[in-house]
Amino acid sequence: MCTDMSMLLELQMRLRRAVLGGDTAEIVAAIQGDGLDPAARVGIYRHHAFATLGDALQGTFPVVCRLVDKRFFAYVAHEYLREHPPHSRCLVEYGADFADFLAGFAPCEKLPYLADVARFEWALNIAATVREATPLQAEMLATVPAQKAAYVALRLQPSLSYFASPWPIDAIWQANKMDEVPPIDITSGGASLEIRRAGEAVSWRRLDPGSFEFRTALADGLVLAAAMAAATMRDPAFDLTAALRQVFAEGLAVAFCISPKQETSR
Amino acid sequence: MTKRRPIASCSVGIGLRSPHVSEIAATRPELAFLEVHAENYMAETPALDRLLELRRDYPVSLHGVALSLGSAEELDRRHLHRFKALIERIEPMLVSEHLAWSAIDGTYLNDLLPLPYTEASLDLFCRHVEEAQEGLGRRLLIENPSSYLRYRYSPIPEAEFIAEIACRTGCGILCDVNNIHVSAWNFGFDPITYLDALPVDAIGEIHLAGHHAAEDVDILIDDHGSRVAKPVWELHTAALRRFGPVPTLIEWDTNLPTLEVLLDEANHAGELAHVHRYVDAA
Repeated sequence: MCTDMSMLLELQMRLRRAVLGGDTAEIVAAIQGDGLDPAARVGIYRHHAFATLGDALQGTFPVVCRLVDKRFFAYVAHEYLREHPPHSRCLVEYGADFADFLAGFAPCEKLPYLADVARFEWALNIAATVREATPLQAEMLATVPAQKAAYVALRLQPSLSYFASPWPIDAIWQANKMDEVPPIDITSGGASLEIRRAGEAVSWRRLDPGSFEFRTALADGLVLAAAMAAATMRDPAFDLTAALRQVFAEGLAVAFCISPKQETSR
Repeated sequence: MTKRRPIASCSVGIGLRSPHVSEIAATRPELAFLEVHAENYMAETPALDRLLELRRDYPVSLHGVALSLGSAEELDRRHLHRFKALIERIEPMLVSEHLAWSAIDGTYLNDLLPLPYTEASLDLFCRHVEEAQEGLGRRLLIENPSSYLRYRYSPIPEAEFIAEIACRTGCGILCDVNNIHVSAWNFGFDPITYLDALPVDAIGEIHLAGHHAAEDVDILIDDHGSRVAKPVWELHTAALRRFGPVPTLIEWDTNLPTLEVLLDEANHAGELAHVHRYVDAA
């Protein structure tokens, strides 16, 4: 029985390798020809897997696809799939490291902003697939003793992403969602972005440097003192009270804890 | 002399695809049920909210495509939990999966890959069906796959294999008539003999879909991308004669047509179900 199972496992591992574009030689011996080269039969499954997974990536990264054109995207997707096949069985969760892959993919070097467009589209995808949690009311923090206030860590909405790019990623993305792409000045400077779910919609906005640093630090789980220190480094005039009020007004925090042992600087 | 027993429902449904959701919500066409791929609704998307709204007016069938019951490893418990959570929210009329495997050693291949049909794979598959039915708290229907390859060592005929799964685990069978036609063409077996080997009492649903012929080889490809082909309607008629009218689904997943075309196919299936609303009882 155990031997039978290990034989089946070995068979499935071999077919997996062949479907993902690896060697078919080690599986064809187990396949009946039925009037056709067994490798061609494996090819039917391989074609289906690559086509449908490529479509899934295209659905998640439509602007990346448009920027490189469909045929080139199919090639990029093929290479990515071979090296990074999905782990999750829900395809909307496939592509978390696609941006990193693009950043290191030599044929895309001429589009230095491409990986950041992918990061932006992945953040939009996260926001579209994660429900908003009930916001924490600011009054709840009133229970925290004053001497411990610096050690409060907030948990933020699970749909939130923060990322900064040296390129105007939001403008590039928006322009490429239009039928006729208007001219974009890609040298117009970078963008520090907050992306989130708001009700049924996905929204994003640019943040000033202090707020971006503060919120990114909070999202990373840093306590208020550490987040404030990080924000003040970027913006000496950073106002903690106003920034915190804004975090609550926008419903970004969903829970908090007091973390006295945490380092207060990154 | 055979007795004829009436079958109450002639229920035909369609696969729900996102481009049709708004029109269905607005026009509320007469359909017995809607079927969705379970994995498309496991994340908290606006699409899930819309499905929950449609659920108020239509029974929903959850069709799993990624449980990978045929994998030679333990079932993915996380995926099973997500499936169960979705079942609890949707309260589906039917829950189905496939006689196939699609994931191994942490890699999900997004395809329904064939199993060799052996005593060992039968034991494995039955154990996984039992675990899944236990974990989901529901009886599963298991669908026969369309196949493009078979293994040198695969001694049990597919129809017998799936009948034995139903017998051992108490699961039902989702009889995909298009898949039988496609596999019968690809491997040269008689589709009627296949139908005859399926236990009537286990049949819980029928799937109908389109296929196309591969360009360079004599192979039919199941693509759910066109109208149901004439020989598949004929085979479906034979299935109705044998099984009586069971919930029947028009599946159309690629090259999506207008909703009108889909409803036209559903009407045709409904007419056939009406004609064959009596089944010969043994």
